Amino acid sequence: MRRPTPALTLLAAAPLVLAGCTSKEAATRADGSGPITVTASDTTCAVSATTAAAGTLTFIVNNTGSATTEFYLYATGNRVMGEVENIAPGVERRLIVEVPDSGTYTTACKPGMVGDGIRAGFTVTGPTKG
Amino acid sequence: MLSTALIGLREGLEASIIVVILVAFLVKTERRDALKWVWAGVASALVLSVAVGAALTYGTSTLTFRAQEAVGGFGSILAVALVTGMVLWMRTAARTMSGQLKGSLGDALVVGSKAVVLMSFLAVAREGLETALFFFSAVQSAGGGTAEPLLGFSIGIAVSVALGTGLYRGAVRIDLGKFFSVTGVLLIVVAAGILAYGVHDLQEAAILPGLNTLAFDVSGAVPPGSWYGTLLKGFFNFSPASTVLEVCVWVTYIVVVLALFLRPARRPTAATNAAATAAAHS
Repeated sequence: MRRPTPALTLLAAAPLVLAGCTSKEAATRADGSGPITVTASDTTCAVSATTAAAGTLTFIVNNTGSATTEFYLYATGNRVMGEVENIAPGVERRLIVEVPDSGTYTTACKPGMVGDGIRAGFTVTGPTKG
Repeated sequence: MLSTALIGLREGLEASIIVVILVAFLVKTERRDALKWVWAGVASALVLSVAVGAALTYGTSTLTFRAQEAVGGFGSILAVALVTGMVLWMRTAARTMSGQLKGSLGDALVVGSKAVVLMSFLAVAREGLETALFFFSAVQSAGGGTAEPLLGFSIGIAVSVALGTGLYRGAVRIDLGKFFSVTGVLLIVVAAGILAYGVHDLQEAAILPGLNTLAFDVSGAVPPGSWYGTLLKGFFNFSPASTVLEVCVWVTYIVVVLALFLRPARRPTAATNAAATAAAHS
């Protein structure tokens, strides 16, 4: 069984990883807004902003509840724009997601990692859909 | 505390099952000298995951959601390809066992040392980044006042290592004649789960469609946060809410690979042995 060496695999994977790399500087955005904080408990999902300009969005999700939770950003039709899982109680995790188009989106916390979650509307402004 | 321990347990099991079977397989075929290739693969995966996790947590770069899902998805599918190769090779090995010297297994394995490194590397690396990111978030909250997530995670990893060791002890006790068929079937079920998991990752990254078309949702009966949900996920990658595509891929993989694995063996003759050895070398 001749297989590529791990080194070759890493070389092959590197561009893939690099392509997905974005600079954290983008967290402070052109419109002056910083990361959006999300405070997730077992029954609530408080998102610090309900609107943002299109581009790279950063959500910092803090779990103050007692169950492990997940945070999602959905586009129309439950299309997943981004998701961060394994947010254990007391843990803070970051979701960085590209949202190039303006429109209506939905945020959701899923305490216990089940169901549709606690949802709220989220509006993205800026470049129109092209 | 319990919920972080369960996360550690699940991620630990997902990474260790294939490694455990690989180690048992090498020990059973008296190739302990090849164990160093397993540890080389595991160690490089750990170093890479921790390094990338640390760079993303403390450095100035960061990884977008789609890129992270793509790494997990393609890593899983590549791992399944290697495991499938190993399973089918084991079938050949089981067949040659009766008629041939064990030396031929050794020959095949020398050639396969790169495969051994790559398989153990992928088994750990595919979910290593997510685990490292979780680990560093636990470290950060330990710095911010509560060490509970870090403690819980460490306990979970420790339990997964204990379970893995138990599985290893059980596996090496199996009589050599049955060893290949038992571990082969186990590997097929585990690999099918990893494949379905990889498909789910690619669906989340919108590389594959059908994320919202669920085949079943038993998360009421098997909550993913429960200990039994954790064990099912850790051992078999069972997802209580599975998409139609995941289920189709899972069933197809099991049916096809199990049929290939269990198809009746002809009585070993000199000709088939030669063919088998050639196949193992190719």
